[in-house]
Amino acid sequence: MLHLLEYWAARLALFGVDLLPPAAASRWAAALGSLWWTADRPRRRVAVSNILRAGVAGDGRQARAIGRGASRHMGMVLVESMKSARVLEDPERMRVDIPGDVAAVLEDPDRGLIVVSGHFGNWEIAGQWLSRYKPVAGISRPMNNPRVQKLALERRQRRAFRMIPKYDPDPGRFLKLLGNGEILALLVDQHARQGIDVPFFGHPAKTHTTAAMLHLVARTPLTFAVCRRTAPMTFELTLSPLIEQQRSGDRNADVEAIVRTLNSLLEEAIRRDPEQYLWGHRRWR
Amino acid sequence: MDSDGASEILARLRDVLRESAVEEHDWDAVVAETPIESLGFDSLTILDVLYDVEEEFGIALDPKQVVKTRTIGEIIALLQQNGA
Repeated sequence: MLHLLEYWAARLALFGVDLLPPAAASRWAAALGSLWWTADRPRRRVAVSNILRAGVAGDGRQARAIGRGASRHMGMVLVESMKSARVLEDPERMRVDIPGDVAAVLEDPDRGLIVVSGHFGNWEIAGQWLSRYKPVAGISRPMNNPRVQKLALERRQRRAFRMIPKYDPDPGRFLKLLGNGEILALLVDQHARQGIDVPFFGHPAKTHTTAAMLHLVARTPLTFAVCRRTAPMTFELTLSPLIEQQRSGDRNADVEAIVRTLNSLLEEAIRRDPEQYLWGHRRWR
Repeated sequence: MDSDGASEILARLRDVLRESAVEEHDWDAVVAETPIESLGFDSLTILDVLYDVEEEFGIALDPKQVVKTRTIGEIIALLQQNGA
């Protein structure tokens, strides 16, 4: 019964978003994000603690201001992802910086690419935009409510961008996907129970190793993506030059070297725009 | 397939699996007919094993060929084709 109520609430919210023009929908979502910040005390405490720990705020007051801004930002991310067609079809709304070595991979239909990012800016817009080159698969964790999950998946699929489940019985699925010349988009900044401890803002954080291992084993090119909002419904997508790690024979050392690089690229983006990061996640446990 | 060579590769493969795999398993019971899917790998642990297999045998496997294999025997054949 609760799932059904949640589903219809989600449908109603989407209906409202669809009726409003993008700018108004974005403002509405930001206001909801701000309201959420006020209402969700546990999440607020986590966010403020994370912001202070990361050292991107000088004091609690500044941390709360960043946290509220980040909550508004996340509201906007949801709406932007739903209304992404406006961004994707308007070159004025998407400034893109792709280094030559990455462009060569994107333009070669036979070469797969691993694109890594974090919950920064609008990562979904980045994935959807990149699907103009080749199919993109992003990984999503299943929601508790299967009805809302189905609705969200339907709304988030654009062009050749699709979401695939985090858990799947086929252990070779990522290798197959990359072997088919597709893009695998991975977010690496959630607490990874089976990950390795690597510094994130100077503090050890369990970090996912899938991207690093795929680069080392499948020898698939790897890049880091930052898609920051520069104005409402307007973005700047920057891909790093290819990150290359030669195999040393020491698996753990190779993986750690890559993961450290990925974390430092994410830190750099967050320091520049701390209000565009998802701070409410318990990153350090 | 060279059966002596295959036996030696199988023995080395068992050692690698014993060292690399996170899951508990009776690795001595692994034979050529053992289905890979019965070994309990997921999309991440399989990568750890592949890295270590390549290092053990000093070769680079084509992931497109690896994902086609269904049994340990097929992995052994692939290793032999690549010079192991």
